[in-house]
Amino acid sequence: MSALAADGMRHRDICHRRVRTCASAGALRPLHSVIRMTQTQTTGSESAAVSFAGAAKAFGAVRAVDGIDLGIRRGETVALLGRNGAGKSTAISLMLGLNDPDAGRVRIFGRAPGQAVAAGLVGAMLQDGRPIPRVTVRELVTFVARTYPRPLPVAEALELAGLTEPADRRGDRLSGGQVQRLRFAVALAGNPELIVLDEPTAALDVEARHAFWKSMRAYASRGNTVLFSTHYLEEADSNADRIVVVDHGRIVADGSGERIKRSVGSSLVAFDLAGGDGEGLGLLPGVVSVEIRGDRARLRTADSDATVVALAGLGAIRGLEVTPATLEDAFLALTDSRDRAKETM
Amino acid sequence: MPKIAEYVKLETRRTLRDPGFVIFSAGMPVLMYLLFTNLGGAGQVDGWKAMSMVGMAAYGALGAAMSVGTGIAEDRTLGWLRQLRITPMSPRQVVVGRALTGSVTVLPAILSVLVAGGLVNGVRLDLWQWAALTLLLWAGATPFTLLGIGNGYRLTAQATGVVNVATLMGLAVVGGLWFPIDAFPDWLRSVSRFTPANRFADLGWSVTHGAAPGLTTVAVVLGWLGIFGSYAVVSYRRAGRTA
Repeated sequence: MSALAADGMRHRDICHRRVRTCASAGALRPLHSVIRMTQTQTTGSESAAVSFAGAAKAFGAVRAVDGIDLGIRRGETVALLGRNGAGKSTAISLMLGLNDPDAGRVRIFGRAPGQAVAAGLVGAMLQDGRPIPRVTVRELVTFVARTYPRPLPVAEALELAGLTEPADRRGDRLSGGQVQRLRFAVALAGNPELIVLDEPTAALDVEARHAFWKSMRAYASRGNTVLFSTHYLEEADSNADRIVVVDHGRIVADGSGERIKRSVGSSLVAFDLAGGDGEGLGLLPGVVSVEIRGDRARLRTADSDATVVALAGLGAIRGLEVTPATLEDAFLALTDSRDRAKETM
Repeated sequence: MPKIAEYVKLETRRTLRDPGFVIFSAGMPVLMYLLFTNLGGAGQVDGWKAMSMVGMAAYGALGAAMSVGTGIAEDRTLGWLRQLRITPMSPRQVVVGRALTGSVTVLPAILSVLVAGGLVNGVRLDLWQWAALTLLLWAGATPFTLLGIGNGYRLTAQATGVVNVATLMGLAVVGGLWFPIDAFPDWLRSVSRFTPANRFADLGWSVTHGAAPGLTTVAVVLGWLGIFGSYAVVSYRRAGRTA
């Protein structure tokens, strides 16, 4: 995570020096169309599992959620992706009725969040929750299940969460990975239609993480709606149907991992300017953004073939290099765009 | 209602499995009772064995009742109260469940001292007296459960523990649960008669004398019930806005 943050810093540093090229509006254009599309899909739909309409929540001067519009259909698995402090947890607390929005509206299955929770439609795994002491895994899960109207059989909930073996161990005597699984079991015990997981794999090792996602996908495959937050792009990409990227309390991108990659350019084309000024590069076919570092231009492109052919036509092929953009690149490009916009304002 | 019953079951298990709880709410009062009534000829004083039995049972019940608050403060630290808020249980059901748990977990404290009185110290009471004594001590502990809940919602886990122990000791000593208030100076004795623990124990003392509790005693206990109840409600509401 710190590496990712550091990367982001480096990226921004470049932008400070090169405001001209960084403030490329091209990178944002495709995203707006993505967001518009999801809005039309969900507006007025009664069956939406989750809907945010202009929701905002501030804590003092910090606008943690700064106007979010979002619709999640039943059965979708959605990742809420963002850095620490991006507003993910606040968005989740609005969804669960733990906080009320200052403005806008949040609805869960067409009801106010508190009502949806009271009706047993929602289960959640919060950050940093620890199990209460002196009660076994089975006792705790049984209790939670019985507070819901139509719970899963306890044995099934334990199995789904991978807790069959330590079922009779006390909650305060579990390993870190087991605690995480217990919190997951608590979230799904009531067989809720919507399950919300706030950074479910934070502090888990690779193996535990792998096991966790397997459980999560098994639960999602039963037709349930799953929303999880993460700051790991890989996790979002491999476990969600759809990724909603949040930054500074706003949604900066919304779509499949593929789509997000495409919207910021699926490839990077780099070459030496050899004294040229890079004027007009943003107009070349496929190019969504241009970045110039010293004498080297880096183009994000949605169609590297077309871009390279055009560059060849201009004779600008010295040191030409084409690399596929990683999701990490996409993420950084997305979450930095607002900073850049601010700087140019 | 079944939801609350499940919650009470969970919390009762959790409380009774706590060795600290068992030692301090049941073990200590029994030990102190047996020491105070058998050392240095103290047992020869007329009626002291019965009187101290009621006092120590009340002391145990008081400690057990207040410790409900320690659990609540602990739950806030663990994030469990927040987790409960996203189950279909309403916050009100959680609070009521906690109070009911208190009414279950005070029983071992009361019964163990009464059993020690009857079996070890040979306190002789009529059957109705034993029944009335148990019932009154059980019901009379409710204000202290509410006081504990108020502390639990208001203070941190550590502060709740400290405040509860200090309150318990203070109320027990001033209320004459350990030593008879006859030994107190006049002014303290008159103050003591209005303190919650003293009137709580007096519910039991009147029964051992074969009488119904006095009207003032009942009125004072109900007064404290009102005060501690309001304190619990206010603390709970305040916590609801922040937790």
